[in-house]
Amino acid sequence: MSLLSIRDLHATVGGNEILKGINLEIGPGEIHAVMGPNGSGKSTLSYVLAGREGYEVTRGTIAFKGKDLIDLAADERANEGVFLAFQYPVEVPGVVGMTFLREAYNAKLRYLGKQEIDAMEFLKFVRSRAKTLNMSDDMLKRAVNVGFSGGEKKRNEILQMAVLEPDLAILDETDSGLDIDALKLVSDGVNELRSENHSMLIITHYQRLLNYIQPDHVHVLAHGKIQRSGGKELALELEAKGYAEFSEEAA
Amino acid sequence: MALQPVAKLPFEGLIADARSHKLGKWHSKLSERALEQYAEIGWPGPKTESWKYTSLNKIASGTFSLAGEYSAIVPEDMIMPLTCPRVVLVNGVLNKELSNLEHLIGNLSITSLVDIEDHQKTFFDDLFKSEESKGDLPLTHLNTAILSDAVMLEITEGSKCELPLHIISIGSGNGITFAPRLIVNVGIGAKVDFIESHVGCSDSAYFSNSVTQLYLGDNSEVGHYKLQNDSRESSHISLTRAVIDDGASYDNFTMSVGAKLSRNEVRAHLKGSGVECCINGAYLGAADQHIDNTTFIEHQAEGSSSREVFKGVLDDTARGVFQGKILVHPEAQKTDGYQMNRAMLLSDKAEIDSKPELEIYADDVRCSHGATVGELEDELIFYLCARGIDRESARRMLIGAYISDAIDEVKNIDIRSSIQIVAENWLKQNLYEK
Repeated sequence: MSLLSIRDLHATVGGNEILKGINLEIGPGEIHAVMGPNGSGKSTLSYVLAGREGYEVTRGTIAFKGKDLIDLAADERANEGVFLAFQYPVEVPGVVGMTFLREAYNAKLRYLGKQEIDAMEFLKFVRSRAKTLNMSDDMLKRAVNVGFSGGEKKRNEILQMAVLEPDLAILDETDSGLDIDALKLVSDGVNELRSENHSMLIITHYQRLLNYIQPDHVHVLAHGKIQRSGGKELALELEAKGYAEFSEEAA
Repeated sequence: MALQPVAKLPFEGLIADARSHKLGKWHSKLSERALEQYAEIGWPGPKTESWKYTSLNKIASGTFSLAGEYSAIVPEDMIMPLTCPRVVLVNGVLNKELSNLEHLIGNLSITSLVDIEDHQKTFFDDLFKSEESKGDLPLTHLNTAILSDAVMLEITEGSKCELPLHIISIGSGNGITFAPRLIVNVGIGAKVDFIESHVGCSDSAYFSNSVTQLYLGDNSEVGHYKLQNDSRESSHISLTRAVIDDGASYDNFTMSVGAKLSRNEVRAHLKGSGVECCINGAYLGAADQHIDNTTFIEHQAEGSSSREVFKGVLDDTARGVFQGKILVHPEAQKTDGYQMNRAMLLSDKAEIDSKPELEIYADDVRCSHGATVGELEDELIFYLCARGIDRESARRMLIGAYISDAIDEVKNIDIRSSIQIVAENWLKQNLYEK
C-alpha cells in the first residue's frame, strides 16, 4: 500500500486553479523528486499537502497512511507524520530553538496519546542530531532562524526533520540558496534519515541536489499536472535539455 | 447672546467632603491649596495636548462619591504572583490587618498619613508643597485635595533590602473614587525593589486616581514594578514621579492589563549625572479597553542614560496610546536616550496611537526613538502548525514571545518571572480567535 496516494488533485489559490489533476503514489521508504519550471505548481503542491490555509482543494483525494488528509488541519497532518521543509524558513522572534523543538515534539507525543519527553533526555537527543548537521548549541539557544544565514536556516529545517522523524518529508527547494558545502551538509542530514520507514518528496528546480540525494522516481510537473515520470535518469535528461519541451505544452 | 454656563469643575463637590475626613484640619489646608491649583489648571479636555488621545469625559460626567471605609479581601489571583511582605491599601487607605508589616526588616519604615504626629506634619507639608509647583498635572492636585491617606516608605541610607515589598491597592465599591498616594524616599546608596499591584473587587466601577512619588538619593538602586489589573469596569489614572540624584539607578516597569480606561504616566527627572533610568512596560488590551502609557524623561545633568521599551498587544476594539517625551537640558551633555514602542494589533478594529517627542538642547547627545505597528503574520502561524503545534497554542506562543521581549527588560529576575506569569494568564484568558 502506498504511504501517500494523490488522485486527480485539483487546487486553487486565490480563485486560480494551480493544480489541475495530480496523480502521485509514494510507497514506504521511497524517494520521489518532483521537478519542473518556475510557476508549474511545485510549491503549491507542497503547501496543499501540508495544509496551508488559502490553498483550497477543489477536486480529488489525498490519502496518507489510508487517512483522508484533506480534512485534517496543518498541525494534525504534521502529527500524523507529514513534514514540510520550507523553501523560505520563517524567522520566529522570541521563540528559542530548543523550546520550539520540544513543543513540536511533545505536540506529536500528545497527539499520539503518549507521555511528554523529559527535558534533559530531549536535550541529549537534539544535540546528537544537531551534531550531524554541524549545528552549535548556540544556534539552538537563539530564537528560531532569527539572524540565521540562508544555509543555517535550511540546516535548521533538516534538524527539525531529523528530530521529528516524519513518515513523509516534503523538501521544498531545499537546495535553493545553498553553497556547495551547505548542500553537502543538508544532503548528509537527509540521507541519514533515509530508511524504509521514511519517504521523501523532494521538490526542486535543479538536478544538482539529486546528485547527493538519489531519488527512486522523478516526475516532471508543469502546468499543474505531472507530465512525465521516470527513474533518476530523467533528472539528468532534464538537466541537459531544460524544461523547454514542457512549456510548449501550455497551448 | 446667551451666556455660556460656567462649566463645573469635576469632583469639586467631593473636595469639601474630603476635608471633613479623618486627616483633620491639617489636611484641610493642604486640600484648599490643592483645589486652588486644580481649579487654575482645570480638568484636562480634548484640547489639552497631553490628553489628546485619552478622553476623560466619561470620568468627568460620571457620578462618583468618596470611598468610605470598606473592608475587602486581597484578590490573590489578580495581584502580582509573588511571596513577600505586603502593604495593603483599600480605597487608598492603609489596611493594617491585610498588610503584614511585621515582616519588614530594619531599615525600611512605613508611615501612614493617618498616624503622623504633629512634628511630622511640617515635613509632609513641605513634601506636598514641593510637588505642587510641578507642571500641568491637575489630577495630582485632585489627588491631594481628596486624600484619605498617604503611605510613605523610607529606606535609610546605605541599607539594602533583600526582599521586595508589595504594595497592593484594592478598589472596592461601585461609583466611588479614591486617591492612593505613595511616597517613596530612598536614602543615599540604599537598594530596594517594590511592586505596586492595582486591583479591584469583581466588577466594581470605580475611579482610582493614583499618585506615586519617589526620591532616589545618590547611588541608590530602585526597582519599581507595577501591575495595573484593576476591575474591567474601572478607570485607573496614575502618575509616577521620580526625582533621581547622582549615580542612582531606577528600573521601572508597568504591566497594564486591567481597567476599562487607564493611563500610566511616568515622569522621571534625572537631576543628577551618571543616572541609569529605565521606564519600560507592556500592555495587553481586549474588548473595549483603552490603555495609555505616557512618559516624560527629563535629563537635567550630564552623562545620564535613559531607556524605554514598551510593547503591546491589542485585540477587539482595544486602543493603546503611547506618548514618550525626552527632554535634554543644555547642561545634559553626553546623554544617552533610547525609546521604542511596538504594538501588535490582532483585530482590524484595534488601534494604537504613538507619539514620540524629543526635545534636545545639548549638542553632544545620543538619542533615538522608534515605533512600529504590526500584526501576527499567517505565515508564522502556519510555520508552527506545520510542526504539529495547534493554531491556538501557536498564536499564544508567538504573542507571548512578542511581549516577553519587553518583560525581559525587568532587572529583578523573580519579578520578571511573575510578570511573565501575568502575561501568560492573560493570553490564556483572552486569546481566542473570534
